Amino acid sequence: MAVGKKDISCPPYVKGREIELEDLKEKKVTYVEDHPDIRYSFTAGQAISKFLKGLKEGKILGVKCNKCGRVMVPPREFCELCFKPINEWVELKDTGVVETFSISYIDPDARPLEEPEIVAVIAIDGASPHMGILHKLGEVDPEKVYIGMRVKAVWKPEEEREGAITDIKYWKPIEG
Amino acid sequence: MMVEKVKGIKYHKKQDVAIVGAGMTIFRRRLNETGKELSYYAVKQALEEAGLDISDIDMVVMGSAPDAFDGVHMKGEYLLDGAGASNKPYVRVFVGGGTGVFAPIAGYWHVASGLADVCLVVCEEKMSSSHPHPQSAFKYIWDPILDRPLKPNLIWIFALEMRRYMHVHNIKHEDIALVSVKNKANALDHPAAQLAAKITVEDVLNSEPMALPVRRLDVSPPSDGAAAIVMVAPHIARQLTDEPVWVTGVGWSLDTTWWTNRDLYFPRYVAEAAKMAYKMAHITDPRKEIDVAEPYDPFDYKELHHMEGLGLAKKGEAPILTREGVTARDGDLPVCPSGGLLGVGNPIAASLGVKVAEIYWQLAYRAGKRQVAKEVTTGVAQAWGDLMQVGTVVVLSNKR
Amino acid sequence: MVFTEKIIDPRELRHVEGKIELYWIYTSGEAGDYFFKKLRDEGKFTAAKCKKCGYIFFPPRIYCEFDFSETEYVEVSGEGCVVAYAVAYYDKNGEKLEKPEIYALIEMDGTNGRIIHLLGEVEPEDVCIGMKVKPVLKPKEEREGKITDILYFKPA
Repeated sequence: MAVGKKDISCPPYVKGREIELEDLKEKKVTYVEDHPDIRYSFTAGQAISKFLKGLKEGKILGVKCNKCGRVMVPPREFCELCFKPINEWVELKDTGVVETFSISYIDPDARPLEEPEIVAVIAIDGASPHMGILHKLGEVDPEKVYIGMRVKAVWKPEEEREGAITDIKYWKPIEG
Repeated sequence: MMVEKVKGIKYHKKQDVAIVGAGMTIFRRRLNETGKELSYYAVKQALEEAGLDISDIDMVVMGSAPDAFDGVHMKGEYLLDGAGASNKPYVRVFVGGGTGVFAPIAGYWHVASGLADVCLVVCEEKMSSSHPHPQSAFKYIWDPILDRPLKPNLIWIFALEMRRYMHVHNIKHEDIALVSVKNKANALDHPAAQLAAKITVEDVLNSEPMALPVRRLDVSPPSDGAAAIVMVAPHIARQLTDEPVWVTGVGWSLDTTWWTNRDLYFPRYVAEAAKMAYKMAHITDPRKEIDVAEPYDPFDYKELHHMEGLGLAKKGEAPILTREGVTARDGDLPVCPSGGLLGVGNPIAASLGVKVAEIYWQLAYRAGKRQVAKEVTTGVAQAWGDLMQVGTVVVLSNKR
Repeated sequence: MVFTEKIIDPRELRHVEGKIELYWIYTSGEAGDYFFKKLRDEGKFTAAKCKKCGYIFFPPRIYCEFDFSETEYVEVSGEGCVVAYAVAYYDKNGEKLEKPEIYALIEMDGTNGRIIHLLGEVEPEDVCIGMKVKPVLKPKEEREGKITDILYFKPA
């Protein structure tokens, strides 16, 4: 006996009408288009506000949990593993190690970039192992990047910094 | 202060849960139907296969990923009438890409708890509504202060995870590309497939670079589609069929949102979810006890990564099993016999149709040309999602 | 107490601006496409009748949401009666409107369905529940296959 009262020998039998973007452009099917104007203001909170202020001053700030001892970056108000409040700030180095990387040929809307860019997770010196941040690499041939490569932050000039993650222009290899 | 309690998860249930019907639409880059109409098609087919009427349904679970794809806030409520849930207890669940396997888990709660005897689970996604590109919707899952100013594309995190996985186990891209070759070929036998094709490893390695190591043919496409399954209590299943497929284990787990603080080479989120599901299903050696698997494969390396998380391969061993043909449809452990997301398409939550529904069809011996060669008793379906963070696992068996 | 040294100067607590840059294209779907093309090309109104229970949906749908049977299209007049209405003095962004707009829930003749639309050629004080109304369409060459092809409903 087949499953169910009705025998369907090879499911699924399927339905649906495929259309192309051109069908919309040529008005072969009816549609409505909507361009909303939605804006947000995200509050950074205690920890990230101070982190961003640190970036403006050319410093990378982390926090330390006094229960598990992890030194974390980006900083946070509480240790998510111990669920304890954090009250110790640690100034980290502006050097680190490439944990993993990618060479991106596309922008956020999947459109091709003029020049590919190198993105990486960089484990920051002075933080616990694998404590990384997302950022970009520069002054390096994409072919020459490798996991474990030591890198250093290249900062914007002080007067151009605005307290944002982009105050670091990119990370470049440490010579030698 | 701690209360007195036994540590760990309880597995008490009121009644067993069976799947008795499934359905899905075609998966395509752009479909004319509204999300409601797609949901209707999938539900109608699932009900017909089960031999049930909409009036037999006690409760409905909807799974759908970010509202930003369809462009409708409160998408669950919007889809309600197409999901057959008018005037019924109804809930939408959502864990990003993991939703397609999480929705059946929620359906399981409904029936196992005894609250419902017949629960309909529907998943829908209409990604084509989102412009300039469905990927644009992913811009808004990143941290708005620390990540978004860097103008990230979602593919970055996959590329970063893939690179880390390849590095730790010294895996070559050629070995990963074999997954794409296998799944797209399997999809040739799937009537819903969007990207079924005979391709070669060279085609994958020479395809357009997106975010290296990820190339065009390493990736599943954005899709429109819907899928549905019917979950019932044992006394209902008995009336409908001699051969129901039982849900013997469910599990889910989320890792920390601070994804740059984790070593990405191993999916701990999947391993934790699998541990929970296997314990419930009394599975101690998944590699031996599981006959067929549908791990989540939005990218080719993800199938391998998830096989390792599911304990179907040792860490770093999944590419070897793939190369040796173990995961082929006629292999010892067929993986993604449906053609997966790489071949059939990836309408995020509606991947229910190629994950849990496919394992159901395989265990019911109803998969037609897609039926795996070996005898099957137990299968596992898994999905992954959120910010590299959720694992959702369902274990099915045709023996109770 | 979280941090021992809290930021207390509110100017140091940061805000970051963000904007959603997506836009959406919604297809009308199978039933919607039939409905809007009839409206655009012929100026006609379509409802859908459930083949099982006979419930008549307006706007039309390909399925009956109550018993999940298929439906068939039936032509209707487009006329109806007001079952509820509201008079808006402000637009969606809270800006004062030059002239108040009347929105009505209209039960469509020959169907079980209702739609929301504008009323025109009538003053707010003259509207009443139960009032018979009929649609005023855009000229054919301006119609696009959208709900706004109906300019408004006016007293019948």
